[in-house]
Amino acid sequence: MTWLWIALGSAIGGVGRYWASGLVAERVGAAFPWGTITVNVVGSFIIGFLATLTGPDGRLLVHPDARQFLMLGICGGFTTFSSFSLQTLTLLRDGEWLLAAANIALSVAACLAAVVLGHVAAAALNQLRGA
Amino acid sequence: MQIPREAVLLRIFIGERDRHHGRPLYEAIVLKAREAGLAGATVLRGVLGYGRSSRIHTAKILRLSDDLPMVVEIVDSDARIRAFLPELDGMIDSGLVTLERAEVLRYGTDES
Repeated sequence: MTWLWIALGSAIGGVGRYWASGLVAERVGAAFPWGTITVNVVGSFIIGFLATLTGPDGRLLVHPDARQFLMLGICGGFTTFSSFSLQTLTLLRDGEWLLAAANIALSVAACLAAVVLGHVAAAALNQLRGA
Repeated sequence: MQIPREAVLLRIFIGERDRHHGRPLYEAIVLKAREAGLAGATVLRGVLGYGRSSRIHTAKILRLSDDLPMVVEIVDSDARIRAFLPELDGMIDSGLVTLERAEVLRYGTDES
């Protein structure tokens, strides 16, 4: 039944992305794919946090299905590499070389920073005494 | 309660996903051991491993992390461990169970 959990998580994550990236694009403007960057950064933080919190040396021992629901399902549905690729291509085709390069650099740097931050936050929780 | 110096270490290698009557198998084994009055049990979760199916389970690849190795260790006298084995048989359908000699140097604090 793991696939059912993945399906449910992906649905929630996907709709969450639709909503969140739409909101960001509306607020910040449509010249640069801020919405995609935002969901990818948030999703990266969450997956880094969950992996460390529920990993072999993590504080939480959760059912594998719960982990797959959250990480493969929700995080997988929420983040998007395909949108990132497409938007980079679109910027390139418009001759916006600088924005395309910025999109690549910012996405990679911010997502990696977010996953590290998530890991560090969960590692701090793992180390907490008496919780 | 005391364990004789010449004791036995029972090791049970299972997966995180294994269940017994709806609860995680590692938990069921520990509770059963406690019910049987065994001296103690410890559960360890593995980072990487494979078993009879040769399928790799690893925390490193998200897709392959959904059934990580679990090890239950129980130390007690030879007689008590062997009396526990039939109970275990009814709970585990796939897994590795080993026995080895253990020399007990210390068990808890000296009080009582």
